[in-house]
Amino acid sequence: MRLLLVEDEIDIQSFLRTSLEEAGYEVEAAADGKTAELLAVDGSFDILIVDLGLPDIDGISLILKLRQLGVRAPVLILSARRSVDDRVRGLEQGGDDYLTKPFALAELLARLRNLLRRNSPPASEATRLRVLDLELDLLRREATRSGQILQLTPQEFVLLEYLCRNAGRVVTRSMILDKVWGMRIQPDTNVVDVHIYRLRGKVDGPGQKPLIRTLRGVGYVLKDR
Amino acid sequence: MSSKTAKPVMHSAAWRISLWATLAFACGTLLVFVFLHQFVANDIQRRSDAWLSGEVEVLGDVAEQTPKNALYDRVVGEVAELAGKEVPNKDLSAGTSNDSVFFLQTSAGGAPMLWVGAGSGEENLKAIRAARIAPDRPTDLRVRGFGIPFRVAATRIDDGSYIYLGLSERDELRVLRIMRLRFLLLWLLLVLLGFGIVFYTAHRMLSLVRRITEAASRIGHSDLSARVPTSARRDEVGSLALTLNHMLDRIENSMHQLHTITDSLAHDLRSPLTAIRGKLEMSLSAGSLDDNSEPIVSVIEELDRLTEFLNKSLDVAEAKADALRLTRCEIDLEELLRIMIDLYEPSMSEKGLQISLQSGGPLKIEADEAMIHRMIANLFDNELKHLPAASTINLLLKADESGASLILEDDGPGFDPEILPHLFERRVKGRKSNGHGLGLAFIDAVVRAHGGAVSAGNRDCGGARIIINLPL
Repeated sequence: MRLLLVEDEIDIQSFLRTSLEEAGYEVEAAADGKTAELLAVDGSFDILIVDLGLPDIDGISLILKLRQLGVRAPVLILSARRSVDDRVRGLEQGGDDYLTKPFALAELLARLRNLLRRNSPPASEATRLRVLDLELDLLRREATRSGQILQLTPQEFVLLEYLCRNAGRVVTRSMILDKVWGMRIQPDTNVVDVHIYRLRGKVDGPGQKPLIRTLRGVGYVLKDR
Repeated sequence: MSSKTAKPVMHSAAWRISLWATLAFACGTLLVFVFLHQFVANDIQRRSDAWLSGEVEVLGDVAEQTPKNALYDRVVGEVAELAGKEVPNKDLSAGTSNDSVFFLQTSAGGAPMLWVGAGSGEENLKAIRAARIAPDRPTDLRVRGFGIPFRVAATRIDDGSYIYLGLSERDELRVLRIMRLRFLLLWLLLVLLGFGIVFYTAHRMLSLVRRITEAASRIGHSDLSARVPTSARRDEVGSLALTLNHMLDRIENSMHQLHTITDSLAHDLRSPLTAIRGKLEMSLSAGSLDDNSEPIVSVIEELDRLTEFLNKSLDVAEAKADALRLTRCEIDLEELLRIMIDLYEPSMSEKGLQISLQSGGPLKIEADEAMIHRMIANLFDNELKHLPAASTINLLLKADESGASLILEDDGPGFDPEILPHLFERRVKGRKSNGHGLGLAFIDAVVRAHGGAVSAGNRDCGGARIIINLPL
């Protein structure tokens, strides 16, 4: 996957480049709009990360300009601004995504994956999800572990489904709040953790190999190995 | 026109102004007329009196000098009749003869000696006997059968008899009556016309003021780009509109300044935070999860708290200046609350808290969904942090014409009485609180930005009560 990173802050650019390369992306970086324009038009990128606060051009204007020049790749907008610009909302409608700084790396990677998936032809929607001995029937809203039916509330099922779809990858609390409850909030209290503890109590029975793992300060991961 | 003009016209300032102006005008003109009327009536009487005094003197002389023979009655009678003819008689309704003047001579005892006038003079004599008229000063005399009193002058002549000359002022009074009637009609017409003109001008003037008021009230917390309508005329109302617009320009400018400051502050703080967080996370994933990672993890958590604190601080700062930027859409407050309760319920029951919602069904409001989410999260976080175990939280959601109201009641210790008057100020928190004292200030900020109001206090039976009102 070829990725163009447009970010003027050298610190952020360098750690993003390292993490993205670790995650398997082939990264080209640009520190201003002009360089980004040259790179984007020449090389064919699968995805772009664009910071809104560039020294020479506004990030949104750059994206619109690139679109005019025929760049079709989806864009993940990074914003350190407080309010979400109406034009960002416009781009979001058009299939791009945004992330406010500071962010968790896991969330950045998840959003990138989402954007790439959205742009690839949709795989036929599975009706069953399987992670190791955990199995989810998406039609009957039923989960089983080693053939044993788990007594889950509808909300717990949605949470487990989200973890399964991202099995093996880290999901952060704000990602869970966004995707499962549909809200971008940062509670002062451990509301998400309690949901996870409860779910873990039902999924990881005594004597079974624990599947849901907590990565403190980062989030959770559903083990697939 | 908006609903504000639908109220009865009687309640408008234009109506009151025109009513008072018309009242003053009507009273003034009435006063002037009464004065004029009095003047004319007095003048008429003065003229009559002068004539009467002169004539009665002449008649007295004639009566004195005429020898008391068979011709006396004829001579004096003819002189009296001649005098009577000087008085015009336009009102002939009462009869063909002139009954507006009479001449009467009586003996010292009061017996009639000579009568010149219409009719027999019986009634006139009776009235004169009853009235005892002083000589030389004309007085009013009411005679039965005549609607209008006679003006009567008397004189005593040498032989001891009295001479009376009476004059009715009915012609003059008739003219006065007609004048009064016409004036009244004209006055009524003028008053109505005056009211109409004053009302029309005042209404036009004030409708411009009302349009300015309406436009000014529409210029909301977030939208400062609108301006009030101006008029081409450079009068008081026109300059009011211009002044308002200049003021709005200045407010918009300072608002823009504030946004620039908070935006750049946020940007300048968030960029290093992003870099720090990213580097920490990288060192975390590189060394996998061992004992060394614990300090890093807690630093990351502290960073996240710092970020949220920064966001809230800036939101509260903007909201205190009525400059919070909202993206409104229609949301169902009831559904939103149910989802949030669903999110918080496990944490609450973990702590032994019970939460319940009473509501009358879906409740649609125009609001910024993300802001309302954060506000409710703050409210619930507050409860989670401060309530002792085994407390209950009751939420009551209801709607009326004025808007939606959400009432939160708990049976915990309530607010510290010391901080109760300053609950919604920044940095205010109870002694035992470990928060940063932004929760309630943020709730207040969001609600105010939506044009609503929050109040908080302690219940009589203990526990806290927070009432949030939001417009629909």
